[in-house]
Amino acid sequence: MSASQTPPRKRFAVPFGLTLVLLLALLWVLLSFATHNFMTERNISNLARQGSMIAILALGETFVIITAGIDLSVGAIAGFITVVVAGLLTQGLPIWASVLASLGIGLGIGAFHAFGIVSMGLPPFIITLATLTSLRGIGLLLTNGATISITNDAFTEFSLGDVFGVVPNLFAVVLAVALPAWLFLGHTRWGRYLFAIGSNSEAARLSGVSVVRTTYLAYILSAMCAALVGLLLASRIGIGNATQAEGWELQAIAAAVIGGTSLFGAVGSWHGPLLGAFILATINNGANLMNVNSFWQRIITGGLIIVIVYSDQLRRRKR
Amino acid sequence: MALAGHSDAGGPSVLLELRGLDKRYPGTHALKSVDLAFIEGEVHAIVGENGAGKSTLIKLLTGAVRRSGGAIVWRGAEAAIETPQDAIELGINAVHQEVVLCRHLTVAANLFLGDERERAGLLRHSQMTAEAQHILDDMGFAIRADALLSSLTIGQQQLVATARAAQRGTRFLIFDEPTAYLTRQEAAALFTLIRRLSADGVTIIYISHRLEEVFDLSDRVSILRDGQLVLTAVTAETDEASLIRGMINRSIDQVFHKEQMVRGAVMLETRKLCGRGFSDVSMAVHAGEIIGLYGLIGAGRSEFASALFGRDPATSGEILWDNSPVRIRRERDALRLGIALAPESRRDQGLALSLPVGFNINLPIFHRLTRGPLLDGRRETTCAERQIADLSIKAPSRHVAAASLSGGNQQKIVIGKWLNHGARLFIFDEPTVGVDVATKAEIYRLMGKLLREGTAIILISSYLPEVYELADTLHVFARGRLVASHAHKAASHETILAQAIGG
Repeated sequence: MSASQTPPRKRFAVPFGLTLVLLLALLWVLLSFATHNFMTERNISNLARQGSMIAILALGETFVIITAGIDLSVGAIAGFITVVVAGLLTQGLPIWASVLASLGIGLGIGAFHAFGIVSMGLPPFIITLATLTSLRGIGLLLTNGATISITNDAFTEFSLGDVFGVVPNLFAVVLAVALPAWLFLGHTRWGRYLFAIGSNSEAARLSGVSVVRTTYLAYILSAMCAALVGLLLASRIGIGNATQAEGWELQAIAAAVIGGTSLFGAVGSWHGPLLGAFILATINNGANLMNVNSFWQRIITGGLIIVIVYSDQLRRRKR
Repeated sequence: MALAGHSDAGGPSVLLELRGLDKRYPGTHALKSVDLAFIEGEVHAIVGENGAGKSTLIKLLTGAVRRSGGAIVWRGAEAAIETPQDAIELGINAVHQEVVLCRHLTVAANLFLGDERERAGLLRHSQMTAEAQHILDDMGFAIRADALLSSLTIGQQQLVATARAAQRGTRFLIFDEPTAYLTRQEAAALFTLIRRLSADGVTIIYISHRLEEVFDLSDRVSILRDGQLVLTAVTAETDEASLIRGMINRSIDQVFHKEQMVRGAVMLETRKLCGRGFSDVSMAVHAGEIIGLYGLIGAGRSEFASALFGRDPATSGEILWDNSPVRIRRERDALRLGIALAPESRRDQGLALSLPVGFNINLPIFHRLTRGPLLDGRRETTCAERQIADLSIKAPSRHVAAASLSGGNQQKIVIGKWLNHGARLFIFDEPTVGVDVATKAEIYRLMGKLLREGTAIILISSYLPEVYELADTLHVFARGRLVASHAHKAASHETILAQAIGG
């Protein structure tokens, strides 16, 4: 028996998380030298706001990817929810009721995804692709293609405010989501079950794990995170429009993957997607400050995904 | 058959020779300077425990890994087998334990994969199907060439892999546990093919844990232990007992470890239970006993066990648990009662291989390891470490992925899961498929330990000696029915086989 030496938990996650932190720090140092206005209070809080929404989407997406699934609808949900919440506020509903109703709709959409996967046997890619297109359609139909402006100032001011005068509210929401996510993924049995069905759902089922409930949980969490982002987005731009957040699902997936989430399932963490999202946001922000052509930004982002994921592969192979 | 003794092993009939072949992996010395000669046309069996170096030897010969030292000599000249392509060009092929073919393609497409018949750049489907069918018929395998590979049983897929390896100019063919998933008929067809290939001058390495096959097929046999060659002998001049001694330094009586237990109360009873694949099965299972279920594949024994575990619920009849009727409609019903299943295919059903050992052990009991909504890390550690220690699971730590462990140790993880869960009735479905003698002995000893703790065991096996030696009551299944029941060793092997075949 040689099983007595116990290495620290999660030997894999911590160093990789650390590399991402270092990468982020490196980018910040480089940008603060390369530009004169990067390290300004205003830009940093701007950056925090920009990264926050993708971070929350990516975190929700990670729950699904850990189960070896995918959720392509998160951007569409966010766009759809801007319409919903704008409409409800225009009808005179109080903010708390509009927020709860929006999150409830997110829950319903997630449950529908899980229903399609579990009961109809559809691949996650297909069912979420279907809602991706149809949600945008429904949103446009509801408003007849128009944009609803939000006149409720209390609601729109949220995105401009901050906590203790330093932490932008949007970033505070990321922290408020990250803490429960950390507990959930690492320290609850349901978090473990996500990994179990991502690794081998048949083995999980034979071990008494309810694959059905776990699947519902994953897609509902993802859709509710997306609904939350929809609320934040509506608050930030002050309008409801179903075409908003176009392509954000791909940014969210990219952020998750940069953060070490494996698209084959069973590998992922709570902090990886957050770091991934802020790395992406930093690159975009820095590129803007340096007046880099926005077409180049996309190419840089694509190249970065390849470099980071490839280096992660190399690191895993060495073990 | 051109079989010579040791005296002229260096003579012109040697096809392939290993000289001081050595392989080191980081942390392990997998093969220690092995000298071994293979004579053209012989069937050379290699036996040894898991981890003895057999797979490393195969990997070196097929170019999957590079040697660390020594030489491989092919027809008297040193051969640099560095890549799989090198091995194939020499005519060295292997049939692996796990089928490595494309499940979505047809049998014919798999047979000709990489070597397709074309005309003007287009595939000649019908020609390939016809040729493939001819090859399969010729080999005596009852398989249709136009069937999709995924529609075949694992055993049939194994035969396709064999046919594929045998038909492409092979001079040297390696079989790794080929019969693990085969039915008796399929195994018989395979043996015929092996004998024919050998008569045609193909040299064969045959690796198996089933020693009776080694004696049935091989001309010579070599034993590996801890990466070293223990001995090479003419098979006819040795016997099973000395092979086992050579492999494990332990005598055969200790392999089938049967303890006399006091039979307890009736735990489970079925009355005229019917379901998919079986009907009218009535039996009782007492605490402290092993019930053996023997039968050919498809005889209904596994289907019956599936019904007990709620995977494929029974359609009629009664199940009594502790003398009161219960309904088992889903796995979770069975788990709640305390019925656990160690499935046949650990890879597909038993374990989350990419996840850590400790995770797998605790998977069924995470709901008990919580304090409030959160998991209690200390109790997780205790539960996992206790099973690792009790079952002497050989793992560097509970954090390593289950995939990195040997088959025997993976089986122990499955058992550890259920011990943790506190199951009272264990259903073992083919627990020792592809497991070496020492691990087998350990699994049997473990069963004894389970029984001492007041549990009962249902042991399903296609390997007659196993159920024969271990079961307190042996039920024979044929064509979906329970056709005979015997007390421990009350009937002969021949009788039981006849009942299983004749029905």
